[in-house]
Amino acid sequence: MSDVDKMKRTTGPVASLALRYGLALASVAAAFGLASAFMHFHLPQTFGAFALSAIAITFWYAGTPPGIFAAVLSSVVRDFLFDPHTSPESRILFDLVFLVFALLMTRVARVRNQLELRVAERTAELTQLNDNLKREIAKHNQVEAELRLSEAYLAEAQRMSHTGSWAWSPPPGDIRYWSEECYRVQGFDPKGIQPRFEEFLQRVHPDDRARIAEVIESAVREKAEFEFDYRIIHPGGEIRDARSVGHPILTSSGDLVEYVGTIIDVTDRRQAEKERERLREAQADLAHVSRMTAMGELTASLAHEVNQPITAAVNGASTCVRWLTREEPDLGEAREAAQGVIRNAKRAAEIINRIRSISKKGESKRQLADVNELIQEMIALLRTETKRYSVSVRTELSAELPKVMADSVQVQQVLMNLIMNGIDAMKDADQERELTIRSQRVDNRTLMISVSDTGVGIPPHQVDRIFDAFFTTKSHGIGMGLRISRSIVESHGGRLWAADNSPHGASFHFTLSAPVEVGA
Amino acid sequence: MSCKKETKLVAIVDDDDSVRCTLQELLRSAGLPSEGFESAEAFLGSGRQQETACLITDIRMPGMSGLELQAVLNAARCKIPTIFITGHGDEEMRFQALRAGAVEFLPKPFDDEILIESVRAALDR
Repeated sequence: MSDVDKMKRTTGPVASLALRYGLALASVAAAFGLASAFMHFHLPQTFGAFALSAIAITFWYAGTPPGIFAAVLSSVVRDFLFDPHTSPESRILFDLVFLVFALLMTRVARVRNQLELRVAERTAELTQLNDNLKREIAKHNQVEAELRLSEAYLAEAQRMSHTGSWAWSPPPGDIRYWSEECYRVQGFDPKGIQPRFEEFLQRVHPDDRARIAEVIESAVREKAEFEFDYRIIHPGGEIRDARSVGHPILTSSGDLVEYVGTIIDVTDRRQAEKERERLREAQADLAHVSRMTAMGELTASLAHEVNQPITAAVNGASTCVRWLTREEPDLGEAREAAQGVIRNAKRAAEIINRIRSISKKGESKRQLADVNELIQEMIALLRTETKRYSVSVRTELSAELPKVMADSVQVQQVLMNLIMNGIDAMKDADQERELTIRSQRVDNRTLMISVSDTGVGIPPHQVDRIFDAFFTTKSHGIGMGLRISRSIVESHGGRLWAADNSPHGASFHFTLSAPVEVGA
Repeated sequence: MSCKKETKLVAIVDDDDSVRCTLQELLRSAGLPSEGFESAEAFLGSGRQQETACLITDIRMPGMSGLELQAVLNAARCKIPTIFITGHGDEEMRFQALRAGAVEFLPKPFDDEILIESVRAALDR
């Protein structure tokens, strides 16, 4: 209200007081001039009509007080300037006419003011509405821009991951939505029209069509998720591997509305998997070859290791026969000798089994393994070697080791390699020849196995090179042992490293991990 | 060091417990008492060389080998009839052992008759 008042006062047609009363003065003066001119030309006497116009104009443009002033001024001008000789009756009549007119105009002016006020209010309301609308539009535009941006990001992500998204209604429905990447994965033009389900099927390898149609059909019947791998034949003849996953959308009452899902081009991933598989095979082959080479070097030693219990068994059998074939057979002695035969024959069999298990070739098999057991077995197998070179073997095996997920044969291969290296390093050493094999827990999941010798040690400049392929300090051997050992340990997620032992000897350490965290 | 045969002891030197023990049992079944030593050093340190009438020894052992033991005994003018038993003896070793006065060179596992005959022959010298 006050705002509107202010606006009227400052921006109205006649703003200042002087101007408004000036208008009253000027309009009455103009009425007087016009009426005088009319009289001069003997036209009918008209000051009254002109004065009324002047009052009306003043009221309209300058407001009520100047209007009343104009009415009073008109009376005065008529009575004293225009017609001073008029009768008192006519003077009263004119004054009355001016007064009544002025009162009428006061009312008119008020109504006009109210109208103006209402118009101003309405205008303000409309302006407000207009502003709101503009803001809404701006907001909408911003949301739309953000949406477009996020769609662009999504499309980019789909492109990078070769993943398209789709929506599909089961028959009689059809494909409802196909993202751009779907077109690309299926070998359609992204700018072309959305293909129908039939057209999608035509791009599928003929051998896969029946299968995936069946998968989809049974999923629709059960309103269940579906997932299938298939091959796509692109228009150029290229065959790609793909995988599609679909998720059913159900109404609250459980009716199937549509499926939403993805199509992923997995060709590159498959290829990489195959490459990895080939690499794993090559690694396993190499490890096997290296193992067999090492075993070959040990043949004499292993033969001796088996020969010992066989000799003992033969001795026992001979003894048994002797006790039985005496003039007075001694069954007690014979039984004891026979039991010795059994014991020693079993020992021979155990050794052969150990040799066989480490010589066998097979794909890498990971199972829970007791590292201490693997160490003990390896020490037993290499006993002849350690004896031959007068190496004493000391073990410090922690009793609280978690089992590790590992290929036992490969871990034993690493142990064999490290132990044989240790023996080699001590062959020509003058000091005491001692091999220490230690197992310890590093943290909840990791354990460390160390093989230390008192041999010649590793010259500092060779510490980095001993793990290189074909690096060897021996007259025999091809220099692959440590290299392969490291690749075996790393393929188990562990580390293998060497350290020079002061004052003599070297230590090799490697880590292995338990599959899950075990209690501390 | 002089070396007179006072008794008819058979000494067995082999680092493998099972071979040594079963060998002792075998000799016992033939009525031949024996004593086992797990290394050449243990045998030399026992001071029983003098009473040993027959020595059965492995060749490859940690520390002193059987051939070295034979050489040490020869050098000490203590010639004990020696039977070598070995898991990986080659012809060269065999000649070396026999040249140095070995009475027999048997690859493991060996025939009990031959071994016992050899031991008896040694004791009867």
